[in-house]
Amino acid sequence: MAHELDHVRLPLSVITTIDLARVCRELNDLDEFLLQATLRKPGTPMQLPRLSKMLDDTATINKVNLLEDKQRKTLITVLAIAKDKAPRLHISFSAEPSPLFITKISEFIRKNIDQIALMQIGLQPTIAAGCVLRSSNRQFDFSLRKRLRESRPILVDLMGKIQDVSQPVSVKVDVK
Amino acid sequence: MGILILALIIVASVLVGLLIYFLKKDSIPAAQVSTSTITNNAIEDVEHIFNDEFREELRNRGRLHFEKIIGENAMFLQQDLRLTTSQLNDYMKQEITRTLKNEFSKYEESINNAKQLAVESIEKTQATIDQQRQLMTQQLSDQFSAEKTHMISRFENHMADVVNHYIMTAIGNQIDLSDQLEFILKDLKDNKEAIIEDIKNGA
Repeated sequence: MAHELDHVRLPLSVITTIDLARVCRELNDLDEFLLQATLRKPGTPMQLPRLSKMLDDTATINKVNLLEDKQRKTLITVLAIAKDKAPRLHISFSAEPSPLFITKISEFIRKNIDQIALMQIGLQPTIAAGCVLRSSNRQFDFSLRKRLRESRPILVDLMGKIQDVSQPVSVKVDVK
Repeated sequence: MGILILALIIVASVLVGLLIYFLKKDSIPAAQVSTSTITNNAIEDVEHIFNDEFREELRNRGRLHFEKIIGENAMFLQQDLRLTTSQLNDYMKQEITRTLKNEFSKYEESINNAKQLAVESIEKTQATIDQQRQLMTQQLSDQFSAEKTHMISRFENHMADVVNHYIMTAIGNQIDLSDQLEFILKDLKDNKEAIIEDIKNGA
């Protein structure tokens, strides 16, 4: 099963789990349509369903001819496996990312981390900048919020130095 | 009075004795003179010499002498009495003075002891108060220092939170994600191994 996943590729247009589920559903519909088409009488006019760009890109990147029954079945199988087994990464940003931005992030992840990784985009305005990536077991905080928290001792030290220079604090106790 | 009479009797006996002696001495040649005559003559002479006037004179003289002696003795006795009284007064004064001095010295000693005790008690109380004051001063100083440190720490922490919150609020959505892309990719690249490891383990 893992061996089958080694050869599958996901296009940059398929980023999220929803996208992959949609591709699978569309591919199943296509397979169903083609199966029914074989049952039709020869010469009966029919119109091939219009394929989405995601399915088209998926077939292209995997070098699959969707009209070939065997290849189509194989693709359906590996995509179903990928839908269940593909690693999922949840990435939160401070603002709603643009599709181009998501594509670049996805491209980097597919190239450097996992070729079939699926992403889920979230929104966390409190992180100010950067992102928070959450995998299956860990959370990687690359946000400005975390950096400010980590830099708090530096800020406190600087404020202490400023306070020491401006006005020394002294407490005198005189009990009579 | 008895002494005077006794003296007179003695004097009279001596005179009678002398008279008898001289009469016997003169009458030796006239031995014939009888003893009774002589005795009678002597008695008569005695009676003649010691008549009432002479006796009265002797009484008067004895009375005067006795009065003189009595007066002198009274004077001496008065002097002695005065002297004794004076000495007694002096003695009483000395005794009273000595007793009073002793009593006063004891009283003074008691007062000094009481004063010493009071002073020691006051000194102990003062020392205790000083010790308590120093302890309280130290405690107050420590509490002031701790409170100061706590307040400074709390201020710094809160100030850091305020600054962080201000920065995050000020930045808000002003930084475009496109501008952050380079930094995000750099962070992902730096943590690529950890992410891959977690994906492998999680899968």
